[in-house]
Amino acid sequence: MVSQTTTTICPFCGVGCGLNLHTEDDRLISVTPQLDHPVSRGQLCSKGWSSAYGVDLRGRILHPLIRTPRGFRQASWDEALTTIGEALQQVLNEDGPMAVGIISSARATNEDNYAAQKLARAVLKTNNIDHCARICHSPTVAGLKQTLGSGAMTNSAADIFETDLIVVFGADPTENHAILGGHIMRAHLAGTKLIVVDPRRTRLAKLADMHLQLKPGSNIALINALIKTILDNHWQDSEYIEARCEGLVPLAAAVANAYDGVERTTGIDLETIREMARAYSKASRAMIFYGMGITQYVSGTNNVIALSNLALVCGQIGRPGTGINPLRGQNNVQGACDMGCLPNVYPGYQAVADLAARDKFSHAWKTALPEQPGLTSLGMSKAALDGSFRALILFGEDPVITDPDQNQERLALSKLDLLVVAELTMTDTARMADVVLPAASFAEKSGTFTNCERRVQHVRQALPPPGEARGDWQWLAAIARQLGSDQLDWSDSEAVFREMAALTPSYSAMSYPHIDEHCGLQWPCSAETPDGTAVLHSNSFPIGRARLIPVHPTEIDESADAEYPLLLTTNRLHFHYGCGSMTRKSPLLEREIPPGLLFINPADARDLGILHRAPVGVRSRRGYLETCAMVSEDLPPGLVSMPYHFREAPSNQLTNNAQDPVTKMPELKACAVAVEPLPPGRVPRSMDQLNAEQGGIER
Amino acid sequence: MMSCYLLDTLERLHSHLARVYQIVQPLEDVGQSAPPLVSPKGYFFAEQENLFVFDGECFRETLPQPPPFVLFGVQSCDLTAIAYQDQFFARDPYYQARRQQALLVGIDCVTPCEHGFCASVDAGPGVKAGCADLILHARPEGGWMLMVCSDKGGEAIRGMELDQMDDTELRARDRRIDDCIAAFPDDSHLHRGIAAISQGRVPDQQWQQLGIQCLGCSGCTTLCPTCSCYGTRDLSEDQGDIRRQRFWDSCLYESFQREASQHNPSEEAGERVRRFWTHKFGDNFAKTFGRYGCVGCGRCEQTCPGVIGVHSVMRRIADYAPDDDV
Ligand code: SF4
Ligand code: SF4
Ligand code: SF4
Repeated sequence: MVSQTTTTICPFCGVGCGLNLHTEDDRLISVTPQLDHPVSRGQLCSKGWSSAYGVDLRGRILHPLIRTPRGFRQASWDEALTTIGEALQQVLNEDGPMAVGIISSARATNEDNYAAQKLARAVLKTNNIDHCARICHSPTVAGLKQTLGSGAMTNSAADIFETDLIVVFGADPTENHAILGGHIMRAHLAGTKLIVVDPRRTRLAKLADMHLQLKPGSNIALINALIKTILDNHWQDSEYIEARCEGLVPLAAAVANAYDGVERTTGIDLETIREMARAYSKASRAMIFYGMGITQYVSGTNNVIALSNLALVCGQIGRPGTGINPLRGQNNVQGACDMGCLPNVYPGYQAVADLAARDKFSHAWKTALPEQPGLTSLGMSKAALDGSFRALILFGEDPVITDPDQNQERLALSKLDLLVVAELTMTDTARMADVVLPAASFAEKSGTFTNCERRVQHVRQALPPPGEARGDWQWLAAIARQLGSDQLDWSDSEAVFREMAALTPSYSAMSYPHIDEHCGLQWPCSAETPDGTAVLHSNSFPIGRARLIPVHPTEIDESADAEYPLLLTTNRLHFHYGCGSMTRKSPLLEREIPPGLLFINPADARDLGILHRAPVGVRSRRGYLETCAMVSEDLPPGLVSMPYHFREAPSNQLTNNAQDPVTKMPELKACAVAVEPLPPGRVPRSMDQLNAEQGGIER
Repeated sequence: MMSCYLLDTLERLHSHLARVYQIVQPLEDVGQSAPPLVSPKGYFFAEQENLFVFDGECFRETLPQPPPFVLFGVQSCDLTAIAYQDQFFARDPYYQARRQQALLVGIDCVTPCEHGFCASVDAGPGVKAGCADLILHARPEGGWMLMVCSDKGGEAIRGMELDQMDDTELRARDRRIDDCIAAFPDDSHLHRGIAAISQGRVPDQQWQQLGIQCLGCSGCTTLCPTCSCYGTRDLSEDQGDIRRQRFWDSCLYESFQREASQHNPSEEAGERVRRFWTHKFGDNFAKTFGRYGCVGCGRCEQTCPGVIGVHSVMRRIADYAPDDDV
């Protein structure tokens, strides 16, 4: 019996907690927290504690699979790669590089993501590379890039214990970033003031000093009114604005009328707005955390800019215990962005449109690189529908479950000539593939993840990949070789990291040994800051002076009306993650799925004749599903909410595909629905049943 | 009366025991003050284990058959917990199959650890004779006292040729343990909290308030050495066999007590938190097991992301204790 302990990083969310994996004879037997981890300090959430179940071999894909008219059949790697290579070559010959693309994974390592964008750019010669940040935080990158010059969390997790006021804006950290949420509770219990702004009464809202239960989609109206209050009362930090910002005059002009109708739009009275404005501007150190309640709107980018304006006028950026801090969902969404898995930037956010940057990468990779900007993931789906986009390589994502407007997504994928999906288990998306590749889980590979506080951490292999499974960059390299390129022929993950760090200024002083020595390094980590950076923008912004940019409220795309009288928002449950393909393998977490998935206020439930846990049908302009109702005071009247992890009743059947004009972020946080009770005792039909019975899309 | 010997080095005991036993040492360093992050309960009550396999016709036993092993250097809190689990799992063949094979070598604590309070709940810091086969005690002047407290322990060290030590040494050990007890920080919140719980004086509203903070992570129940709840599931194997597996469960999960009808007597998080602490400090449990369910290891305080580990909870409820119970 050989027992071993491997220290690694939790694969489930952007907090990046430290895990010990205990193995016995190449079997994972238990998971424990790392006591000395700088963020998690000996704690884990339910997902972390259950991560042993996620890599359980049951249900794992162990061999390449090729679609035949009679279903999938097992194939050798050689055959799978030949099939992929020929199909890619044919599409490239016929329609050129804009017809192919890659969607990489915010769950995969930095090394995997670096390899994916390099395969796209240097081998396929296309900038069609994206990942799921599109549906989480692309507005963060777009917004903060304009205002501050960098789209990441400005401060660190440890700052939670060094601040006087924490503002949680449109985020539910105890569910989505549980260990950080726990830190916020701990700081609050020890006396730090806590303000929560959220339409739902979240766990933190119940504990907070103030809860502003604003109407969905009224973020900008509220923030502008806060800024107006601050300016009217001269509570701003004039010295800071003078020294470090530009654009105060137009901002002041833009918020001058911010009180008009604000109580009606937001549902918050002026007295409360004033109280929050005072608390935030007068706090000597105040820290903002925000999440998808800011980003998942058609006004996502502007919402982020508005928050940035608020922080800047109060001088709350650039010191410990302050800052504007996006809580990014997936374990490595920060890294996937840093690695340039975005259609418009190379690693380190160096713009494709910038000739110097293109030359730099072209020189390093010794090949000409495409100029034409790439398509986003939603752009690829659209182009697939009209036939101009024909081959897609996708891994570690289940867009059929997690993307808005499932039915469109399914249709788009079915139009492709070639869909390659690399996965651990048969997800709904993998079921649609032409070739399925067996991927290695986080416990079976090495590399790095970058957590939400920009900490690059070492992921270590504890187990051999099962069957013929391979790590992502390894099979990406095999595809490159199939196309006659040795661009991805690295000897190991460390070699990938070395190449990436040499080309990515904010990672330039990092190496595996240096990361190990410091329990992770926070970027920027370069010659000037060789041990990393805990607080961004201490002395200056990457763009010199920060920009205050006026933004105006935009109404949500689809308000409730007579036909669809309720507004639906989405939420997450802390014990599940993404599409649930890993967390649902735990019998405990599977059991934790509530008996119903539609959360509704008691008053609405009464009006509609809906009892607690009774079956309901939910319809929007785009789809229909059935589930049971959970009657809960946590929702205000008029608003219902559904988590989005569950294939039985995927909320994305219903959500709106209207997009943020800048980032194409879909408005997942608000759409109009009608809810009706089903006959008592009726078992809600799952999506598969509904599709089979009704032939899909229509009820 | 225990016999007590002088042991010059731990290695000597180690290599003697290794002739018969596989050595398992849960502590990084025998003699460190804090207990290991994970309690040793998993050595007997496995985190996941098969109960049987059904091949369509017959049930096949899957009783574990571990070789004899020694848990070398277990602190008093964890040994007290093992004694408690021995009662709980007295008739559980899977637990007993492992437990029968084990020799327990305890180690006395002589300095308090960060969150621990064994002394407040009669579970340490000195190892009690009934809880171990052998006990080690570090002598300040060098070497170790080795106390034999069971026949199995005596058998295990037979042939080691050790010098017997006299009562003065045992008295010195008691003094050092008393000094350690005196060095623990103020524990009045614990006594008051226990009184409040065991007399049912904590109002529901207070439990609900604490319940808001429970993230249902299962950290406390996973690390707690006396938690013993498990769930079962049937897994179908490739060859058509059905394997029944049991796995550690947590009473803090919302679904722990949810019935098939969806009815759930503890749907409220506060109710689940109350139940957990009543199991640790309720008088009914004390009657059944002869002691409280908490052995004062402090692990829940360290690992609870919701800040409702034992000290945090006790501080919040201490005020409900009756006044004369200070
Ligand atoms: S908080 Fe996030 S990183 Fe930490 S254990 Fe939970 S899922 Fe894993
Ligand atoms: S309740 Fe907490 S302190 Fe008591 S035995 Fe369990 S983990 Fe240890
Ligand atoms: S450790 Fe804390 S948060 Fe986790 S289940 Fe236990 S009481 Fe709840």
